[in-house]
Amino acid sequence: MKLTLAEHGGLAAALRLGQPPVVLDLSTLPDDEVRQLTDLLSAARADPAPSGSARTAPDAMSYTVTVEDGGSQEVLRRTDTTMSREFAELLDRLRRLAVKGG
Amino acid sequence: MTRHLNCIVPPHILDRLAESSDAAVREAARQTLLTTARLRGQREVRAGLLGVSAPTNGRRSVFDCRNSTRLSNAVLVRTEQGHASSDRSVNAAFDGLGATRQFYLEVLSRNSIDDRGMRLDGYVHRGLRYNNAFWDGQEMVFGDGDGVIFTDFTGSLDVIGHELTHGVTEFTAGLEYHNQSGALNESISDCMGSLVKQWTLKQTAEQADWLIGPEVFTPGIEADALRSLKAPGEAYDNETFGKDPQPAHMDHYVDLPDTDEGDNGGVHINSGIPNHAFYLAAVAIGGYAWEVAGRIWYQSLRASTPTTDFAAFAQTTISKAAELYGVGGSQQTAVREAWEQVGVGTTVAARGGTKQAAAVIPPPREELVRQFDELTAQVNRLRSELLSS
Repeated sequence: MKLTLAEHGGLAAALRLGQPPVVLDLSTLPDDEVRQLTDLLSAARADPAPSGSARTAPDAMSYTVTVEDGGSQEVLRRTDTTMSREFAELLDRLRRLAVKGG
Repeated sequence: MTRHLNCIVPPHILDRLAESSDAAVREAARQTLLTTARLRGQREVRAGLLGVSAPTNGRRSVFDCRNSTRLSNAVLVRTEQGHASSDRSVNAAFDGLGATRQFYLEVLSRNSIDDRGMRLDGYVHRGLRYNNAFWDGQEMVFGDGDGVIFTDFTGSLDVIGHELTHGVTEFTAGLEYHNQSGALNESISDCMGSLVKQWTLKQTAEQADWLIGPEVFTPGIEADALRSLKAPGEAYDNETFGKDPQPAHMDHYVDLPDTDEGDNGGVHINSGIPNHAFYLAAVAIGGYAWEVAGRIWYQSLRASTPTTDFAAFAQTTISKAAELYGVGGSQQTAVREAWEQVGVGTTVAARGGTKQAAAVIPPPREELVRQFDELTAQVNRLRSELLSS
């Protein structure tokens, strides 16, 4: 399984433009790390995406988590103003693993 | 008492008319100036008598998110009545909200974000290692930064001014947040954010740094700021995030998709163009940028619509410069030339042609006197209300 995190917008949107997304190959992570990550993913997935296509608040950031598993692909999109606590925890975990070089 | 005195004639015009060679015009202007001065005095005296230490309008509250992303879980940590906090972020947010509120009130006669005294709520320590600050339509939210690239966003006064100005834009022009109207929305926030800082520091246009967010980076990051109005495209150039992509001229306008990935059509990119026009106008006019250029831009914002683009806004600023300071005056010339220097087209009519000329043809003497009489009557009614309240 592969997880990709792309972050856009925000006050510093220009700095993020064109920056590569964070990519995590779960096959390279320890089992307990994979387990925690998939639990967080399930929790984030359980919180439905807000309906409607209203534009986000000025300078709020948006996040796209793409899950690739075998031949299937799933995309979760949230913003600073629409994310659940579970999605926020998933974001933080992905960023920390990326910093660790996971 | 939250009611405003909306003067039809700006004070500096009244000053000029008070020197008119026409005795009736001179007397009417003098009476209006005298009455408004009395009213101002009564307001100040009344505030002093009541012992008001903080205005009730635009009252501030700061909440601590305690690293949660849920604002509903945040704890109230500072109010107008309370003491300063031991948390530096709380105090910086509180002070920044206050400085922005006072700037709008004292410089632009605007009573908080909605001009009706809207309360100002700030939320600090949002999330974990959160690299952003934003206005969500009701409150301002600050991240602590990741400590690697970004640091605490409450530390930048122009960022606070920038975000609260998004609220002002929502309540005025409502500029749509994509493509040119979105870049204009961003630019207005940068211009006013910079002015809040300049006004607080009492800096002239020449003295100001014209930077947005110079404080948000950690010391290890080689960057002047997030953006520069003085030199768009030169705020940073480093290995971490490359070179500042902001253009300073329409020749370099960046076409990006109207998506999240494309920054909604480059709203944070192309804002460099109107940003630079504002800087050029302010420097050409000279003195304190908030006094003339800021006023022209603010009045133009109020006269704009959700779909206003660069050219339409340029036209409006040129018209407003004429309306406020006279056709063909140095202020209007500075504004027109600023837009020309950044390559934003202005029509022949906008260059002091018939439109502007028609807009400022003075009304007949009788009409002018009637308007002054009406204004004086309004002021007197307000004065009576104030004394009896």
